[in-house]
Amino acid sequence: MESAASRAGNAAGKPSRLAAALKHMKRDRQLLMLFIPCLAFYLIFRYGPLYGLLIAFKDYSVFQGIWDSPWVGLKHFEKFFSGNDFALLFRNTLLLGFLNLIFSFPFPILLALMLNEVRLKWFKKSVQTLSYLPAFLSVVIICSMVIDFLSPTHGIVNKIIQAFGFEPIYFLGEKAWFRPVYIISEIWTNMGYESIIYLAAIAGIDPTLYEAARVDGANRYHMMRHITIPGILGTVVVMFILKTGSMIRIGYEKVLLLYSPMTYEVADVFSTFVYRKGLLEANFSYAAAVGLFEALVALVMLLAANLVSKRIGGRGLW
Amino acid sequence: MVGQPRFTLFSLINGFLLICVAMATLYPVWYIFVVSLSDTAHVVQGKVFLWPKGLNLEAYREVLEDSKIPRAYLNTIFYTTLGTTINLLMTAVAAYPLSHKDFFGRKWFMLMIVLTMFLNPGIIPNYLLVQKLGMIDTFWALVIPNAIWTFELIILKSFYESMSSSIREAARIDGASEFRILFSIIIPLAKPALASIGLFYFMGHWNSYFLPMIYLNDSVKYPLQVVLRDMLIFNEGNRSNLVDAAALAPQALKNATIVLSMIPVLMIYPFAQKYFAKGVMLGAEKG
Repeated sequence: MESAASRAGNAAGKPSRLAAALKHMKRDRQLLMLFIPCLAFYLIFRYGPLYGLLIAFKDYSVFQGIWDSPWVGLKHFEKFFSGNDFALLFRNTLLLGFLNLIFSFPFPILLALMLNEVRLKWFKKSVQTLSYLPAFLSVVIICSMVIDFLSPTHGIVNKIIQAFGFEPIYFLGEKAWFRPVYIISEIWTNMGYESIIYLAAIAGIDPTLYEAARVDGANRYHMMRHITIPGILGTVVVMFILKTGSMIRIGYEKVLLLYSPMTYEVADVFSTFVYRKGLLEANFSYAAAVGLFEALVALVMLLAANLVSKRIGGRGLW
Repeated sequence: MVGQPRFTLFSLINGFLLICVAMATLYPVWYIFVVSLSDTAHVVQGKVFLWPKGLNLEAYREVLEDSKIPRAYLNTIFYTTLGTTINLLMTAVAAYPLSHKDFFGRKWFMLMIVLTMFLNPGIIPNYLLVQKLGMIDTFWALVIPNAIWTFELIILKSFYESMSSSIREAARIDGASEFRILFSIIIPLAKPALASIGLFYFMGHWNSYFLPMIYLNDSVKYPLQVVLRDMLIFNEGNRSNLVDAAALAPQALKNATIVLSMIPVLMIYPFAQKYFAKGVMLGAEKG
């Protein structure tokens, strides 16, 4: 995608390369003017915070500011790795992300396959429209529903449990229930709108394949098994790798609303810990160090996912 | 599917399961609505399931008379309107130069932008920056630090690229400035794409609670979602002493607030689904 200007520059050596660049800039001056707000935004708000990461290696004090706070090297990282925090957070984050990936991944695919089998247009449309309603609701509303439904005193789930003669369960107060509750609410929230992607993949399958299969006497099961599923497999693989790469990016906004000191032991993930230590306890440096570590793990996982995607599908995720 | 029986056993089971899915998504929303119309005494005893019991509009009257909720609602409208406008303007302008194949430094600018999808410095450095810029406890903290979402920028850039360049060229030959071309030709033609990303920006602002919660200190400035969150935490705190049913009294009030907060979203949702689906698809292709 080399421009004519820079190609001319390459041929004529350095000084005229600069001249060519200047000429190019002059030609694009109006576009560059339009680009200034965007450039400023990215430099200040996306690269600017990287400077603030320095405090992970300092003892940050609000009064001294970022630059004048004393350097402490890897002190915070040493504290993090030698204490209990690291093992707990690493396990919780990875486990919650992994279990959520494994359990919620099949649902949008199943929903798309089921919707695809519906012949009544209006029925298919209605179900689909309803199914992605939760994607429009805020995380606060969703958590409010979760809390209400699971309430030990008036929640419908416990009413049903009691109707069968069992004791009510305090779901949000018990460690064993935190992960299932989180994952089921994630499935409920995302199933509908993620199925859009698979439905589009199904719509992209060549209809003549189905025609040919029907002529050959295939029934609907055969067609789903041998045409639809192989037809969307590529999309499924890409989505799976993509989700693996971002697995540890837990929906911490949801965790913050659902966890409590009673469930910290299983529910506390990197981001919620960073929020509590940094913003609630004002332990900025330590929180920044944990945040930096999380960012590095996330980056490595994303790069690994991309590598796998390239190996398998021949194309990367970007 | 001509010539096939319409209702086989398979399609009946399939249809039944799909009705279950639809019910499972609809019921929680319906339940909130029902509780908001019910008498609190019935709610805390767990007697309300499908229809309002002790039907009344008391909770809605309380919401309107509440000291915080109406103001929070106005705050949300203000933040969402301002935020979405800034988002759309910034994104629409930023995507334009980048959509020119031979724009000066395009490759480097794109690299700079895409890299930010992988570098996430986290909550603390962002907070320190917003603090440094003096935006803490102002609405600017909610609209400026996220003025452009990289994903939506890339989506819009691709859309601009897919537009025919002949009108652009013609306007340029006629001596129109790039500014003029962008605002009187490109942006009007890109309305469907802008509606799509605008929807995501709108939802992002309307539903956000975390950023307002950490950036705003003065409760007068809280948007609706933060007020709702405080109600949740309040109930949460009181749920540990299970016998105290009175602690759950704001149930109807909370749910009435949720219903009111959902109204704009539910109103646009049936019309927005076309744009929503398109946005998800574009995102998936780019992803």
